[in-house]
Amino acid sequence: MKWATRRHCHIDRAACAWLIRRFIDAEAEFVFVDDLDEVSEDATPFDMRGVALSHHGGDCSFETMLRRYELLDPVLWELAKIVHEADLADERYDAPEAPGLDVLLRGLSMVRDDYELLALSAPLFDGLYEYRKRAMLTGREPA
Amino acid sequence: MSWVVLAYRLPREPSTPRSALWRKLRRFGAAQVLDGLAALPLDARNREQLEWLADEVLEAGGEATIWIAELGSAAQERDLAARMAEAVAQDYRVLIEEAARAHEQAPGQRRRTLGRLRRELRRIRARDYFPPPEREPARRALDELAALVEEPVG
Repeated sequence: MKWATRRHCHIDRAACAWLIRRFIDAEAEFVFVDDLDEVSEDATPFDMRGVALSHHGGDCSFETMLRRYELLDPVLWELAKIVHEADLADERYDAPEAPGLDVLLRGLSMVRDDYELLALSAPLFDGLYEYRKRAMLTGREPA
Repeated sequence: MSWVVLAYRLPREPSTPRSALWRKLRRFGAAQVLDGLAALPLDARNREQLEWLADEVLEAGGEATIWIAELGSAAQERDLAARMAEAVAQDYRVLIEEAARAHEQAPGQRRRTLGRLRRELRRIRARDYFPPPEREPARRALDELAALVEEPVG
């Protein structure tokens, strides 16, 4: 399937792209646009104003996607708190990882294009998922 | 310079979306130009943040549009910048006072206060677009508190 989002990805779009590839559509192909008008009929837009898979009711797009695709994995919801705070910093959640992740992704987006950003950030989200999973299983932060 | 401007109208009731919007605009450091008109210096992040707010206003049954704008004169721009700088300066002053009071606290409590004030300083700096003179004293006040926290007890 084709998926479309805004150019110059940051945390929410990078996290959504990772989520799509890992949990929704392994064959996902991404296109980056400046405006919703450029999104072709066969592409699903996300994290853009006025589309279903976007910010809603104070949620970031990653959270919206978890709801829309009924992804109930509690580890993903732990990641959602981090992505939410890295994206919006509205202190809805306590996510001390968020400011660091925000800076890492923002810096990466300055030196890499969108395709490379997604390729480079995917293992980061894999690792974050694994870390949060182990923390959840053992009830403490993994060493 | 260019500004990103959110023009909005929200129903008076329910009041929750109104206060949520107000809180978020305040956190971004937006200047409330008029009732229903909020402005931030234009950059990709500010534009995106105000666009999401515009969507929240629409979802709450209000009206919202995003404008990219320039002030009509340099004097008006200076006034607006000065107003924004003063709001942030006030936040720095509160932080400096709190840091001073923490000198009297017990070591454990002082350490916790330092952590809280450091987070607060980060939040203020994120909305500090026109740094006032209080910016450096605020940083120094926390450095001094940190030095006190690190002193060995005895």
